Amino acid sequence: MSGSARPSRTGEAAAGNPLSEALRRNDVLVCVGEGGVGKTTIAATIALRAAVEGRRSMVCTIDPARRLANSLGLSELGNAESRIPAEHLRAAGLPADAPIYAMMLDTKRTWDEFVERYAPADKREQILASRFYQSLSTALAGSQEYIAMEKLWQLHSRKDYQLIVLDTPPTSHALDFLDAPNRVLDFLDNDAARWLLRPALVAGRWGLQLFSFGGSYMAKTLAKLTGTDTLRELAEFMLAISGMNESFRERASQVRELLAADRTSFVLVSSPRIEGIEEVAQFQRVLQQNHMSIAAVVLNRVQPPPLPSDWAEAAREEGPLRAKLEATLEERRRAAERDAEAIAAIRSVCAPTPLIEVPALPTDVHDLISLWRTGRFLFGEERLEAAQW
Amino acid sequence: MARLLDKRLLIITGKGGTGKSTVSAAAALVSAREGRRTLVCEVNAKDRVTQLLGLPPAGPELTSLAENLWAVNIRPDDAMREYALMTLRLESIYKAVFENRFVRYFLRFVPSLQELVMLGKVLYHLQQKLPDGSDRFDTIVLDAPATGHAISFLSVPRVLAQTVPPGAMLREAERMRALLEDAATTAAILVSLPEEMPVTETIELGAGLREREIQPQAAVLNSFTAPRFGESDLAALAARKRLLLVAREHRRLSELSRQSRETLERGLKLPVLTVARRYERRFAREAVEEIASELEPGLKAGR
Repeated sequence: MSGSARPSRTGEAAAGNPLSEALRRNDVLVCVGEGGVGKTTIAATIALRAAVEGRRSMVCTIDPARRLANSLGLSELGNAESRIPAEHLRAAGLPADAPIYAMMLDTKRTWDEFVERYAPADKREQILASRFYQSLSTALAGSQEYIAMEKLWQLHSRKDYQLIVLDTPPTSHALDFLDAPNRVLDFLDNDAARWLLRPALVAGRWGLQLFSFGGSYMAKTLAKLTGTDTLRELAEFMLAISGMNESFRERASQVRELLAADRTSFVLVSSPRIEGIEEVAQFQRVLQQNHMSIAAVVLNRVQPPPLPSDWAEAAREEGPLRAKLEATLEERRRAAERDAEAIAAIRSVCAPTPLIEVPALPTDVHDLISLWRTGRFLFGEERLEAAQW
Repeated sequence: MARLLDKRLLIITGKGGTGKSTVSAAAALVSAREGRRTLVCEVNAKDRVTQLLGLPPAGPELTSLAENLWAVNIRPDDAMREYALMTLRLESIYKAVFENRFVRYFLRFVPSLQELVMLGKVLYHLQQKLPDGSDRFDTIVLDAPATGHAISFLSVPRVLAQTVPPGAMLREAERMRALLEDAATTAAILVSLPEEMPVTETIELGAGLREREIQPQAAVLNSFTAPRFGESDLAALAARKRLLLVAREHRRLSELSRQSRETLERGLKLPVLTVARRYERRFAREAVEEIASELEPGLKAGR
């Protein structure tokens, strides 16, 4: 099942296939990339391969879309970790005992669990009942990243899995995800925030104490924007959760350590489009700044070109059929050329990170068979040319 | 019979990678060509729309792109500043308050506030007037975030209207909610691709928006492949293994396109406009112009 030594189209030896090595060496792989590039598919493919190699693996998505459920043939995914049923694996011709698990992060429930675990007992009710908590923990943007890191850390610290593959939300949000531990720490380490919290803690209530911060002028001005009550309620909420600050701080730095750990690596998934180049460069930069490592850049759904013999054969046909065939081959040629051009450009900004090309498969990848097939390319056992329709 | 083009706010949304920015640019071109003063808004994005039109980035200031066509790229920090300045009137107050380290962190910690002010800026332009009292823009095309985030982004006013106590923020949220939920003013257009999962997600997105009282009024099926090879073609190619695969693959794509259109029509109960799959190496302005022509009849059709 392991990668063979066949060279890929671009000359990278499959023997040292960066992902085969990464899935054996790492215990956390984080898949990042723009929406729609097939990130979830790649995450599931990696977890499936690791499981078939006998590693207990978990694929966890924080993307609100239900793609993963479809890909894994599960109708419902929730915060619950579920094992992919043996009959699904068997039906796909894979070892039925491959230990692969999947879950989709339930943001609200994970927040609740976090509060229940870490909030001081006398504050728990107040936090859970706060309208700010309600919106923070449900629909509102930004909260996913905060809580996803908590979940990743929990899963990792339980040591139940030998490999956790984490799928993330689209680009700007994937960067937000990386930034989330820093953001939390920044906020909690802020002197002004502590200064603001202290008198209120001493007074035991907020009220006017908040508005005396920095001279009432500043708070009053702020209140013009948010409304006085909003500001006060928010302050009360922040006071209530301040009891959790230590837990937040500790957890955020643990997560930061986990993401930068030797056995954690990122996989950047992109499409073979010239527009992707900036994204690849940006992610590389951010990961480097954070002392995090990239296992590979995966370019998904690359179109292979038609063979010269296809043109010769088409020329032997006549009339409208020949025209239709030539039009189709021309489209395929142009699509392949477009991809090849983009790949060359991305390769130039990507080095020394290995670049892996996965072809567009003739079927929508949403079942275990096609996930496995995707893996054959991802792990360098099949070459792009082999994907000819 | 209201036409899509007569809506004041067109929200273009869909799964990532479906071509939302392209459809936004094309819809804005159609609108501007018709003589409607049109503003295309990107939200915290990379100036994709202006890039597609072969123009320099719009940035945070209103930029004139062509006759009747403007663009703006709304970023959270700029939007926050503008909103604050509008409310507070004085730059010096803004500086004293909003450039305070704590206040910045404070505002950042309220995630919805960023969405609120960005959406607020979109809706501000919607209500902007010219000196003669007419609307500054007839149409705003909003290139909205991808699926999951579109719902949370667009439902911020609704969520806030239900959570925040009375005050300026509540009034703002309610005002915005009223505009977004008025089907005569606002139409969401869902962009999809002819593949099983994107189609399923588009239908879910439509349902999600309806649940939040924002009305999707059309879908755009991008990268559409029209049928080319018939049964007799396949029969003629029976002995040519590779070419048969070429023809079959094309048939598969056109079949998938047809099915996707039907599934979307059934699942959303909306008209589905199609945009042909394209093969050029660089996506230039001419491509967007052609897509605009493809979308034009659908955008102008009465419902």
